[in-house]
Amino acid sequence: MSSRRSRVSEEEINELISKLQSLLPEARRRGGGRASAAKLLKETCNYIRSLNREVDDLSGRLSALMATVDNNSAEAEIIRSLLRS
Amino acid sequence: MQATKSFEQAFLKHLLRGCRLSAVSYKSMSLQERKSAIKLSADVAMASARGGRKWTRGLITKLSKEDEHRSFLQLILGTEYGRLTKPCHGSWKIPRSKKIVRRSLRVCSRRKNNLRAPHGVKSSVLARTLVEKRTHALKRLVPGVESLDGYSLLDETLDYVISLRAQVDLMQKLLTTFEASKLGALSKCTLPERKASFVGK
Repeated sequence: MSSRRSRVSEEEINELISKLQSLLPEARRRGGGRASAAKLLKETCNYIRSLNREVDDLSGRLSALMATVDNNSAEAEIIRSLLRS
Repeated sequence: MQATKSFEQAFLKHLLRGCRLSAVSYKSMSLQERKSAIKLSADVAMASARGGRKWTRGLITKLSKEDEHRSFLQLILGTEYGRLTKPCHGSWKIPRSKKIVRRSLRVCSRRKNNLRAPHGVKSSVLARTLVEKRTHALKRLVPGVESLDGYSLLDETLDYVISLRAQVDLMQKLLTTFEASKLGALSKCTLPERKASFVGK
């Protein structure tokens, strides 16, 4: 099942690659040139690992804090203000 | 590129629901257990807030592998659980795209490497092996993408990274809000009281 409409163009791929690159922390320092596939993959993997570490750290800090939040109305107010912003 | 407002709301709702559901045994929970419960809630919240991607299904499936996690997930997600774990039918992107991705990416690496190729070894062969190795590493990091390649793999990865960033941002926001309210409580004036006093004026 291979219709022309479902084929991915090189343009779409290039767009996807540059979108991914723009997310990576290294992208700010690099000039215009595009990285190799290997570099892109390495930096993406490193970035995902560092994001996972951040989530882990934030989970720890949140758990320490939430243990002390026992006032239900304060918590509800926080939730409401967050959902409003 | 940012996650949407509706993602934010769905994420926060699910995260807080998950935290409240596991709060029953909070007093008896160790810090490590509480941290794991929050991390689990955050991952479930992220997957369900996004929904409908290979990685969201992969993540929920991975998290459900443990029996006690599965019942917790069913509690948080309710009817969504069935939808999120339903097996995915094939992607409409044809596998031929793999060659296009490799070709367009390899052009760049060859331009940079062709002056320094080691004697007798083609730089493109080295580049390809390294790309394969790193692709495998990426597939271990992004849930649910083992069967994907080329465009589909990058597409899922991009979506996953955007969602991870949103997860981090939102948890940071939540943390900041809680910390601020703690400081407010310490100054002997709770949030609702302070708001009421403003209204009075």
